[in-house]
Amino acid sequence: MRRYLARRLITSVGVLLGISVLVFSISRLVPGDIVDVMLGTRNVTAEAKAALRAQLGLDAPIPVQYLVFLGNAVRGEFGVSLTNKMPVARAIGEQLPNTVVLAAAALAVALGIGFPLGIFAALRPGSWADTLAMAVSVTGLSIPTFWLGLMLILFFSVQLGWLPSIHKGSDPLSLIMPALTLGLPEAAVIARMVRASLLDVLSQEYIVAARAKGAGRARVIFKHALRNALIPVVTFLGLQMAYLLGGSAIVETIFARPGIGRLAVSAISSRDYPLLQGVVLVTASIYVVVNTLTDLTYMLLNPKIRLT
Amino acid sequence: MTPSLELLPATPRSESPNVRLLRRTFRSPSAVIGALILFLLLAASLAAPFLTDRDPDLINPGQALKPPSLSQPMGTDNIGRDNWARFLFGGRLSLLVGVIAIAIGATAGITIGAVAGYFGGWVDSALSWSMDVLISFPDLLLALAMIAVLGPGLINAMIAVGIAFIPGFARLTRSSVLSIREQNYVEAARALGASDASILLTHLLPNALRPLLVLTTLSIGSAILTGAALSFLGLGAQPPTPEWGAMLNAGQKFVRQAWWLTVFPGLGIFLTILSLNLLGDALSDAAAGGTGGR
Repeated sequence: MRRYLARRLITSVGVLLGISVLVFSISRLVPGDIVDVMLGTRNVTAEAKAALRAQLGLDAPIPVQYLVFLGNAVRGEFGVSLTNKMPVARAIGEQLPNTVVLAAAALAVALGIGFPLGIFAALRPGSWADTLAMAVSVTGLSIPTFWLGLMLILFFSVQLGWLPSIHKGSDPLSLIMPALTLGLPEAAVIARMVRASLLDVLSQEYIVAARAKGAGRARVIFKHALRNALIPVVTFLGLQMAYLLGGSAIVETIFARPGIGRLAVSAISSRDYPLLQGVVLVTASIYVVVNTLTDLTYMLLNPKIRLT
Repeated sequence: MTPSLELLPATPRSESPNVRLLRRTFRSPSAVIGALILFLLLAASLAAPFLTDRDPDLINPGQALKPPSLSQPMGTDNIGRDNWARFLFGGRLSLLVGVIAIAIGATAGITIGAVAGYFGGWVDSALSWSMDVLISFPDLLLALAMIAVLGPGLINAMIAVGIAFIPGFARLTRSSVLSIREQNYVEAARALGASDASILLTHLLPNALRPLLVLTTLSIGSAILTGAALSFLGLGAQPPTPEWGAMLNAGQKFVRQAWWLTVFPGLGIFLTILSLNLLGDALSDAAAGGTGGR
């Protein structure tokens, strides 16, 4: 187990290093002089260009530039945003909580709908109820988030006038549609996972034995099967939580919600490379860390892996 | 008891595995529905010039924001362009983004995976590590990072989306190649003096073809989706190009006045993804069914 743990952690550190190389390359691979690209058509003096060049450390050899970048990133320093002149770390720190709230709310939607739907479908596999639940699920899987968001606005804001279509400070109502937009497609994925996992467990011998002893189907599912069926689903949830963080760009853009996804999109449009690099690095790192933690949780939950 | 001739399977023994896979796939009703929707969408975008006589880019301010009518079934946009013509021509581009992106991702991924699996050693370690790095980015985030390097635009969006799909193809090819690399017939070919390239192309890759076909079907949908998402964010197709994601981006500003500008382009994307998901699910079920069974 200790060896597995060590190997898993080394892999993760290797991937994090790779991510830092890739994120570093973003600004160095841009065709042309990065300083010209970043300053664009803004009217700037030669001194301002030289200052930016010095700030980015562009005069040093590339490997040295990377090491400086890495050293700064480890200390949480990503430079200064070109658009709002604010340290990138502070900009991310201010926006990240908004995205986490959105992702958590979306996860609640996904679980609240996905779980019952998956169990409902697995209760009578092959029945019309199963077919219907899976039809709902494949529909949910196929709806583009950006269209779902617009359709919710069309229905709940324009037609019914119930919910605000754009973010309004602390109004909890303005979280409902963004959470649904991000959460419903995930609910579809979770429903499929729960169904498949539950059906798999239900076909195993100890379940057949419990049934043979006269336990009712519902009792078998909730007392015996669900706990084991949950293992793969929990593993998957970690991945999805991180994915929700990354996929927030679209939802935040539609509903004009502040958050790091929207920060990334605006950074690309304004060619604010320090800001973009910071957001990409932080998001991808969160993804790797959550992924690693999920794997370790899985290891703890599953004795088969623990023993080897 | 000897079985009578009538009880023997009706299918001829010589049926190729690929034909059998297709036959098993289309036994599922959802695959048939998926194929039908996909066929209609493809036919509509290919026959676009015959299905409308209006120019998708023709501006007509006098006809701005007209709701759907008999002559203009999807209404008009804020500068009076015909939404039906834009829908038809936009579908072409949206589908094309997915196909080209997957072509890029599959070509690069299969090459990387085959080289890594065949040569092993440090080549494998280095390539697998870079694939691990790429796969640790959510698709859209990686595509956004690539757009930051390449700049916004339709062609760049295809490349950016394609790169996001490299790791999936590389991993699948690598594991297929690994599993058959040590087989006797590969050894034999090597002993006969066949070059590395010819062994890869004639012996190893054809064996990986079927899982790759399933992956391609499953991936095209998400590639179309990611491509449309980039256009929706204003980073893919640029105005006035009609493309479903870009049309949604433009229509979003008029969601209160003109529902038809957001409903139809999104419906196009939704139906495309739905049909590919239905087909892909049935195909992977059929492929997982293996050789035995029904």
